[in-house]
Amino acid sequence: MFFRVMDKARIADLVRGLSTEYEVIGPVAKGERFTFSVIEDPADLRLDFDTTILPPKKFFFPPEERMMRFRVADNEVVDDEAFASPRVLFGLHPCDINALLLMDNVFLGEFEDPYYKAYRDATLLVGVSCSPRETCFCNAWDTDEVHWGFDIFLTDLGDRYFVSVRSVMGAELLDRHVETSPITAEDTAEFQAVVREFKRAFPAKLDTSQLPLLLDAKFDDPVWDELGERCLSCGACSMVCPTCYCFDVRDDLDPDQRSGERKRVWDSCQFSEFSAVAHGQTFRESRASRVKYRYYHKQWGYLSKFERVLCVGCGRCTHACLADISPREVVTALVEGSEAR
Amino acid sequence: MAPRVVVIGLASDFGCQVQMTNIEDHLLDVLGLIDLTYWQLASSGHLPAEYDVAIVEGAVTTEAHVEALRRVRETAGAVIAVGACAITGGIPAIASAGELADRYGCVYGEGGAEVACGRIAPMPVTAVIDVDYRVPGCPLDTDEFLRVLSRALQGLSGRIPEEPLCAACKTRENICFHDRGELCLGLVTRTGCGAKCVSLGRACTGCRGIAADANLDAAYALLASRGIPAEEFTRRLSLYNTLEEGCDR
Amino acid sequence: MTASTTYRQLKANPYRPWPARITSIVDLTEKEKLIEMRLIDEAAREAFSFDAGQFVEVSLFGVGEAPISISSAPSKQGFIELCVRRAGDVTSALHQKQCGDIIGIRGPFGRGFPFPEMKGHDVLLVAGGLGIAPLKSLINHIHDDRHDFGNVTILYGAKNPSEILFRQQFDMWKHREDFELIMTVDQPDETWDDEVGLVTKLFDRIDVDPARTYGAICGPPVMYRYVIDEMRKKEMDADRIYVSFERRMKCGIGKCGHCGVGHQYACIDGPVFNYWEAMNLQEAI
Repeated sequence: MFFRVMDKARIADLVRGLSTEYEVIGPVAKGERFTFSVIEDPADLRLDFDTTILPPKKFFFPPEERMMRFRVADNEVVDDEAFASPRVLFGLHPCDINALLLMDNVFLGEFEDPYYKAYRDATLLVGVSCSPRETCFCNAWDTDEVHWGFDIFLTDLGDRYFVSVRSVMGAELLDRHVETSPITAEDTAEFQAVVREFKRAFPAKLDTSQLPLLLDAKFDDPVWDELGERCLSCGACSMVCPTCYCFDVRDDLDPDQRSGERKRVWDSCQFSEFSAVAHGQTFRESRASRVKYRYYHKQWGYLSKFERVLCVGCGRCTHACLADISPREVVTALVEGSEAR
Repeated sequence: MAPRVVVIGLASDFGCQVQMTNIEDHLLDVLGLIDLTYWQLASSGHLPAEYDVAIVEGAVTTEAHVEALRRVRETAGAVIAVGACAITGGIPAIASAGELADRYGCVYGEGGAEVACGRIAPMPVTAVIDVDYRVPGCPLDTDEFLRVLSRALQGLSGRIPEEPLCAACKTRENICFHDRGELCLGLVTRTGCGAKCVSLGRACTGCRGIAADANLDAAYALLASRGIPAEEFTRRLSLYNTLEEGCDR
Repeated sequence: MTASTTYRQLKANPYRPWPARITSIVDLTEKEKLIEMRLIDEAAREAFSFDAGQFVEVSLFGVGEAPISISSAPSKQGFIELCVRRAGDVTSALHQKQCGDIIGIRGPFGRGFPFPEMKGHDVLLVAGGLGIAPLKSLINHIHDDRHDFGNVTILYGAKNPSEILFRQQFDMWKHREDFELIMTVDQPDETWDDEVGLVTKLFDRIDVDPARTYGAICGPPVMYRYVIDEMRKKEMDADRIYVSFERRMKCGIGKCGHCGVGHQYACIDGPVFNYWEAMNLQEAI
């Protein structure tokens, strides 16, 4: 990895330059919130954003995605090409980059997913530092730092960015489109100060001691029933989660009924139909069991395979949940006991 | 032989049938697959004695409707109920609360009781006969209608989404009405509309009915904690869901 | 070679079904048909090898996909036989198909029974209803390798005689020396001369040497606990009792998330688990 510093005002040069070769996507304002959207004007890019409604996963695993076109008569695939045009995704916080690395384990591991891979291969990532909000708990999973998985990472030093360059492509693009200078010892010292301040700014660190074990040991804890009573089963948590990857598959016929598309759409384990088999049995009938499964899978199921929890502490689900169910609350209830809440 | 399809309207504003004419782009494709033997809105003929698929719009408001529906059920291989009126009773069902004759009196003044003669408390088609397929909404969504019709023509099962709307609304990245302290019924309303209203800046009015997965108790509780009283939530729900279970507190 | 390396070698999209031609259809009962098919693509057909207990995704475009266990034996290459119960849209549409029709197949997926490990041992197979389908694959595989196994006992329960699957084959087997087969039904008719009652009742009639016996169980979810109890009473080891789970599946390859059972996925970690593993899967049994 090598490092540069870049004047903050230069960010527009970089965006404009990248736009000549790539579709540039970044955080833009939508009402009082932010979304990752195509940047038409560099002035729209809001690197001071707090978080976005949907995470960047929508660019790699769209909410609704065509997998293949088919012909009914001979049950034949007409087209299953995965296509993605080159683009740069600007402004990913460390949690979002870490989330993509977790998604990679699923989609790029055994049985590589060609659609996800095409988008992933076509996309360069530019990360940016952030400051923790009250809903953030990335520090609980060590996803507040990111050491790989990006092409360029910008750390905000006030008037300039401390630029970490991870990939050859990142180095070339930086070189081609924007004026930067070598780092000095002062820059590095300031970078360290910023990082220290960032770490200090978090709310009390979430205690996750023995969480995977507790999920089994307290499988029948009444906390799940309480959460089940409150949960709306709306699935908003799954949609806004940067690491939820479950999907449903459906076939839509064209109006002439001769051909059609097989699509996948985001799904949620909070829906009762999610675990229903053809002859009608549903394996997680109660709302409580579904809320529990969300945590059980994230904090233990995924961990048992990939040695990481499937959560990056971005706080999006906390914000999206009208019933105010948050991982912070659920984990605390399990680890410290219901009284502690 | 192409399946013989009839379109029947009961008490409604025919909005769903109008929507069906709006399929324009694909109407000819669809018409090529079926033998549309009767369409109440668009034809002057009579309902034939035999047909395979009956598409029924509107709420049941008279004894004659009840009789007609029973005949439809006996005749048709598949019945598709379309629109809020046919599926939840929709707006007509508001009249089912309280004394029916008084309602007619409200509208027609003296002599209202005469108008009310032969009329019954409005109810959905689904309360009178079993239906095989449902296309909810006010009015129906044309894409969903085509998908359901396609399933009916293929003889597949009638599936209807049973989850609340919020998930789909999130995928559209709408700003949540509740974040601004405004009531939106999406948190208990059946999904499948793609959150069109919210995406256009209007809160959900619940026209697709209450989702089976919805947690009404939790919704009432959390709204109360956010300063929206139960009466207000009930009042808003009753626009389309007067007859739905759990919407009456 | 695992299925994923097969897909990698063939550079195949794991979501894209291979066309397969239906070569034979046998009506087994009112609800079940035995459908045999051959993959049309030669490379795919060559690469397609499987273990008893594995499943394929059957794909009918316009209708959808359904996971179905393979009922033919791995020792019989070149074709795939599925026992299909009419339950949902895909299986109903599959029942409408004729010989010669083309359907889609993805797979084989999942982890099957540990056949090499079972060799040299006695095997006790217990099936309830449609659960006989994946076990038939194992039974026939054992049959083709019979000298490698000790005693082979099959306990098979069904609701009534008309729902007994593969009756012809089993009626023949009842008279064989090298397989002990006992069948039972809940509701006998006048033709029934075998056992009556639940499959667990048959354990009184058999001798099990726990030190050298593997168990394999497949049937409706309610059956597992009771059959496992019987096997445990015979002092069989938990990690030598194998069960197969049915769950909702969309992808079959560990991505769509629907088949989550405890901390595992039935599609890639199962559908066959040993009882020790299954005990550690929450809400599994």
